[in-house]
Amino acid sequence: MVQSVKPVPSTWCPGCGDFGVLAAVKKAAQEAGVPPYDEVLVGGIGCSGGIHNFIETNGIHALHGRLLAQAVGIKLANPQLTVIAAGGDGDGYAIGMGHFIHAFKKNASILYIVMNNELYGLTKGQASPTSQLGYEGNVEPPFDAILTALSIPVPNFIARTFSGDPKTMIQVLVEAIKFNRANRGFAFVEDLSPCVTYNDTFKDWRARVVDVATLPGYDPSDRQTMFRLCTETMHSGKIPIGVMHRPSAPDPSMPGLELKLLPDKIGPAVADIGLATNRGAYEKLLRAVA
Amino acid sequence: MTTPAAKTTPDPGVATANHLPPRSPELSDLAVMIGGQGGDGTLTVSDLLGRYFRKRGLYIYTSRNVLSRIRGGHADACIRASRDPIAAVKAEVNLIVAFDKEALEIGRSELAADGWMLYDSSSFQSDAPNAVGFPFATLVGGVVGQPIFKNTAAYGAISVILGFDPDQTRAVIEERFAKRGAEALQKNLKALEIGRKAAADTPGLANRWHVADGDAHNQILTIGNQAVALGFVVGGGRFFAGYPITPATEIMEYLMRYLPAFHGVVRQAEDELAAVNMIIGAAYAGARVMTSTSGPGLSLMTEGIGHAGTAEVPILVADCQRVGPSTGEPTRHEQSDLSHLAHLGHGEYPRFIVAPGTVEDCFEITVEALNLAERWRLPVILLLDQALCQNTTTAEPFDLSKVTVDRGNRLTSEQVAKMESYAAYQFTPNGVSPYAPPGTLGVYSQITGNEHNEMGHVSVNPVNRVKMMDKRMGKLIHAEPELPVPHMFGDAGAKIGIIGYGSTFGPIREAQGLLDRAGIRTRFYNARTLFPVPSRTLEPFLASMDVVYVVEHNYTGQFAEMIRAALPQHHAKLRSIKKFDGNSFRAPEIVGPIQGGR
Repeated sequence: MVQSVKPVPSTWCPGCGDFGVLAAVKKAAQEAGVPPYDEVLVGGIGCSGGIHNFIETNGIHALHGRLLAQAVGIKLANPQLTVIAAGGDGDGYAIGMGHFIHAFKKNASILYIVMNNELYGLTKGQASPTSQLGYEGNVEPPFDAILTALSIPVPNFIARTFSGDPKTMIQVLVEAIKFNRANRGFAFVEDLSPCVTYNDTFKDWRARVVDVATLPGYDPSDRQTMFRLCTETMHSGKIPIGVMHRPSAPDPSMPGLELKLLPDKIGPAVADIGLATNRGAYEKLLRAVA
Repeated sequence: MTTPAAKTTPDPGVATANHLPPRSPELSDLAVMIGGQGGDGTLTVSDLLGRYFRKRGLYIYTSRNVLSRIRGGHADACIRASRDPIAAVKAEVNLIVAFDKEALEIGRSELAADGWMLYDSSSFQSDAPNAVGFPFATLVGGVVGQPIFKNTAAYGAISVILGFDPDQTRAVIEERFAKRGAEALQKNLKALEIGRKAAADTPGLANRWHVADGDAHNQILTIGNQAVALGFVVGGGRFFAGYPITPATEIMEYLMRYLPAFHGVVRQAEDELAAVNMIIGAAYAGARVMTSTSGPGLSLMTEGIGHAGTAEVPILVADCQRVGPSTGEPTRHEQSDLSHLAHLGHGEYPRFIVAPGTVEDCFEITVEALNLAERWRLPVILLLDQALCQNTTTAEPFDLSKVTVDRGNRLTSEQVAKMESYAAYQFTPNGVSPYAPPGTLGVYSQITGNEHNEMGHVSVNPVNRVKMMDKRMGKLIHAEPELPVPHMFGDAGAKIGIIGYGSTFGPIREAQGLLDRAGIRTRFYNARTLFPVPSRTLEPFLASMDVVYVVEHNYTGQFAEMIRAALPQHHAKLRSIKKFDGNSFRAPEIVGPIQGGR
């Protein structure tokens, strides 16, 4: 057996919410039947972005805010790969916001996990786009990724989990990975992952999370309903979690981007680019230039 | 003064000429400028002339002067036809066709002493010497019903003035407009005859010049951007992401047409940050990749290119230079990104900068650049410029026999199975680590822009840091013998050297011809690798010369400065010939300083 890169011990603080995600990703990939060598973890910059080093798998550590662009590039280069991008709220909702919005629109079948701790941990506790008013002098109201995601009319899979509830998280991630592997498009899971060092919200969040599936009228195929349920829950001081959008059935006109571009799933990374194979087609191509 | 009657009398026979110059002899090299407001169809006239000249076996070269707007505003095209291969704008224009006053004003400064200006007198009058007014729009409007066919009428008038064969002149119209339907074709043919008759009925106008036939019959018509796109495809490039930007966009547009047939993917990204990171992701996954951009986009991509340098991800970045900085002049020509590219980004990492001089070379170097990127696992910059990217030119058909695909030390599952261990950043004598993309059975690859150890894990170990820096930076030394060699032209024994890259190739070659006729012998070093500065070939070149002129399109003489820094022992021999007004060099602008010994 050839030796290659092994996981290193995590650099996270004891009790960090990210450990929940790490465990859930490992378990979910197994349960969803991902062939080990076909898995790629794309890490962002920040505490959470180190996750790809703590799992025995393929990984790429992207630039700050650019993990989604790299993840989409990987998926389109080789649709056989199962691509999981994971980063923090600063990475995804501040410096990477442009790519975040476009990821829903692009709808490549990758999973994007945002470990939201409502602050910048690695740079020692500054306010982030999701910080509550007043946190570290923050005067800007927090950004809500789920409401934004629901506003983009593409049949993505959208969910929010809580690191304090690993069982549900695994279920959601398994569903998200299976959604990707069926080439149904982009899956977005925001995990509420408290920073135990700078703002330990475990207790507070545990008391406030509400699984939207328990609310009357819950229908994850209907964006309007889910938007209303989320905003009503937020107005009552609670935090909505659970599956926020799940298309009722695969929409053949809106498959994952990789399937639109590469119907046979043979991508640029595995295509035979040898001259011998392509000579006839190349000659034809060049002859057309007159 | 022109005759005001010309504006109101739709009589094809009425032309207004201030002065008819004496007849000129047969020309072997001719330039026609056609200008007007956007929507006047000036580019169509240029296209029609090009088609005719090609039927006569002439080489052609067309430059466009367009503003950064979709419609309206002045636009002009200058088409040059020659019996000899050309890759430059002609210094003097023989004939100007003006649909607006601006065309006359812009063109006049470049008009040859015996040149003519033909203008549409239905919209304005001119009392310039050598200006001949034809009411093209009025004439055509009266007969065809739509004045927009005035451009075809102008082509008709030109065909008479230049003594074109009438049947072939007509055949060009048929070829160009057949696809638009019978009605459009008939209207254009009518407009053609109106223009022909107007010129023929004006005494002294017909057959003023005769353009000699050439033997350039096996040529293709293309632009540098198309050559790059084709080179990318045949070089095995399969993943492209970009963002629309002048003058690079055609590369993406051509690839959108070409790549889907080859399991290829082209994505128009949300910005250049996404574009460069998408290709990094795709290259990590094992695809051959490229992005293309221009100055502003390049600035945004800078962080990503550095990431590729330290993460050792092979990417190709085509920089189609335009006037900078900031938005600069989006449609105009410059070569001012080189210093930036040589020092691109924060920190230190290796990159190669290669630069084709002709459209044929665009094709060849793109293939070579793809091989270099994968063999050395680093970013390669394909340095282009607006004139090379967008000026239309006849060229030798692209040659597949020169194409090779070398993927470097890329591991397959079968190879990996025989190995004891695999590390994506393994130390090797030349600094290049064998690479197994994700999906390779049996091994994992961890790739990062953080400093890392051989396994790809983050490391701040000082000993490892030094070894990793040596590994990466050493590629600049180890790869040097493999980088594109210069193309040399002119007299091997000359004592006057000329150095240039990119589109200065054409004007320099033409200048060499002019200097040769004046008894001044020169040797031209067409640099195709710009960084690392190709000292191995430059040093003996400089050593053999008394004086060397570095020709480039920027204010500070960027390449000259890089050469001085790399080979200070020859600094006193170097002179700069610089131009940064947004236009490409005309040969006399290179001849002048050399002849003057400056």
